[in-house]
Amino acid sequence: MSCPDFLKGWFVVRRELPGSRKALLTTLSFLMPIALWCIVSYVPFIWHPDIKLTLAANTERISGVFTAGNRLSRDYFPQYVEAVRLDNKETIAARAAGTATPGAKRANRLLLRQLAPVAIDNGWLPRGEEQNDALLYQLWGDLATGKKIALTPKLSADNLAIARENWAILSASSPVFESSKLPDQLLLKLIPQGIPSNPVYLPPPHEVIQAGWRDFQAPRVGENPTMGERYQHSIRIILFGFIWSCIVGVPLGILGGVYDFFSRLIGPFVDFFRYMPAPTFSTLLVAVLSAHDAPKVALVFLGTVFQMILIVSKTTRLLDPALLEAAQTLGAKPRQMITHVVLPGILPNLYNDLRILLGWAWTWLVIAELIGVKSGLTGFLDTQGTFRNFDRVFPVIILIGLTGFVTDQILAFFHGVFFPWAGTSGPVSRAISNVVAWPVRNLLQYTRRINAPSDLP
Amino acid sequence: MIATDIPEYLRQDAEVAARFSRLKERTVALSVRNLTKHFETPKGTITALKDVSFDVHKREFMSVIGPSGCGKSTLVRILAGLETATEGELLVYDQPASGPGPDRGMVFQGYTLFPWLTVKQNVMFGPKVAGMPVIFAESEAREWIELVGLSKFENSYPHQLSGGMKQRVAIARALANQPRVLFMDEPFGALDAQTRANMQAYLLEIWKNVDITIVFITHDLDEAVFLSDRILVLDANPGRVNEIVEVAVPRPRTFTQVADPMFMATRKHIEHLIHPPGTPENENFPVLRMAVSDPDVL
Repeated sequence: MSCPDFLKGWFVVRRELPGSRKALLTTLSFLMPIALWCIVSYVPFIWHPDIKLTLAANTERISGVFTAGNRLSRDYFPQYVEAVRLDNKETIAARAAGTATPGAKRANRLLLRQLAPVAIDNGWLPRGEEQNDALLYQLWGDLATGKKIALTPKLSADNLAIARENWAILSASSPVFESSKLPDQLLLKLIPQGIPSNPVYLPPPHEVIQAGWRDFQAPRVGENPTMGERYQHSIRIILFGFIWSCIVGVPLGILGGVYDFFSRLIGPFVDFFRYMPAPTFSTLLVAVLSAHDAPKVALVFLGTVFQMILIVSKTTRLLDPALLEAAQTLGAKPRQMITHVVLPGILPNLYNDLRILLGWAWTWLVIAELIGVKSGLTGFLDTQGTFRNFDRVFPVIILIGLTGFVTDQILAFFHGVFFPWAGTSGPVSRAISNVVAWPVRNLLQYTRRINAPSDLP
Repeated sequence: MIATDIPEYLRQDAEVAARFSRLKERTVALSVRNLTKHFETPKGTITALKDVSFDVHKREFMSVIGPSGCGKSTLVRILAGLETATEGELLVYDQPASGPGPDRGMVFQGYTLFPWLTVKQNVMFGPKVAGMPVIFAESEAREWIELVGLSKFENSYPHQLSGGMKQRVAIARALANQPRVLFMDEPFGALDAQTRANMQAYLLEIWKNVDITIVFITHDLDEAVFLSDRILVLDANPGRVNEIVEVAVPRPRTFTQVADPMFMATRKHIEHLIHPPGTPENENFPVLRMAVSDPDVL
């Protein structure tokens, strides 16, 4: 049996796949987790251990208070429903006995609002109008008389019957809402309804996208910065921390790599210091630098600089010593060996190191932004996480990941532009580097020519 | 029998003898006196070189050859100033030399071109660090690049060149510094046979046109005989001068001379110096016992 060509050659030990297959697999590596997420979220019989309430009712028979949007475990939901049914039975019994319920008007007013989540989800009531009793009153009527039919979510037959029963009592006393004319006997509660759902920490993709869209569009409210401002703030912290770390770490690293003196002098302490986790200094940093951005930048700096010194000096040490010997035999002085050989020689590797260390700096962002006054993206993450609004948390996490990833890819591409001689350039980066280098090279040659001594050979 | 036809390696015809006497009258470019090098290791002191003394005359081409481990690389590194001798003296045109310097150029086996510089910039390196204005260094570099025939590639980076081309750049780079002596440490060792032969002819061509004294380290007998005026044969453990052989093959050298009786005699003599006949080295291989059923094999 022969297998078709497209199935051949996917698994060959230590051989690179052709470009089209590589591209396909790259795409798949992103699509697969997303597909998995979609499957778990949208295929109802996979997992879905909870019921997400679309319609909630208050009852004193159970200890919890639930509102629409809350999740209950699938096992517990029937108990909740049963409790509300018992409440209704009691109400009917009280009605038959003719016992008056104290505070019934007020209770009924709250009971009418039970319909609000259904009304919002069906688009009859704008968000934020949950206490618009006049409109809700009218909706009860519309549902009872069949003028309006709830589709998303549907009302169960039980609940429609309850709506009709309630409306009979309501319309008898007043066709429109008037708080004084609310009935004196208790109305029936709508029975809780819900849809199967995953736990709160795994919201489905569309909810995450919607929440992200809403949050990133949201205008500035009072002191609360917009998401764009938070994003800028986070990036600023990272960049300043990283730049400071470069200013200190790169020269020290190079010195350590070139001179054994500095390596012995700095190395051991750096080695020791980097095992002290940077966050342990957070309170100290706040005490020294006050509570705003300075301690955050300092934390990113502390978390990055010691690794940087070590990695940069390692890179420096890895420079082929034969190049230094060659330079010596060509008459280079020690200082020239550093400026003419070590620095240009390590530059491409240094660039890659810094690229990796920038990723490393990102890992300190979250901790840095939590110290002192919470700020930036992490401030938002922390707040929303506490409220368990994970649909609003995920977009931010994804944004942070995406920023790091895209930056890294761009920087990797520019490696080929900056260092055409390292042999890593692709056709595009080589073209860019040529376009950029051409005027520079010609300008240099021109200035040399006009500055040249007149006795040019 | 061929063997009886091969003349004694010392027998020089008149022309060659005259050349050697002229050569010995020239000034001494490089003088090595009683060079000794010890290495301290945890297992004790190892003597890499012991009492090595020789002179190289101006514009002479001298090769250093010896069995592996005889310290020929150590010797050339000391001569270039990259390592220090334990004892002994090194004179370049009667001036004591210590440490690396632009008066002694070096071509390494591993090319050691600066990968971030173009061919031209590589060749300009020496003049530039010596403080020559870029515009002069540039025109000078162009001449040397032309000499090694790489004008078309002056703006290429080393990674774009073949091994032979890289080594030509390395030679041009060393020469652009106008050293008084050029050391070459197995420069063609990493090249394939074809390229190596071309490079050897090329090197002789360059040497003919440039005022330079060359000390050439190699382990290739044919290469040494083909290129050299004299060959310094080193013994191993410790490295000592065994003999300095005058190559009586007339110049200009061509590849047809490889089959010359004179060439073969010299080659055979040096081979005997390095691997004296009867040494067990070749007889240590196990005897192969294989049953070959095919009668056509032998």
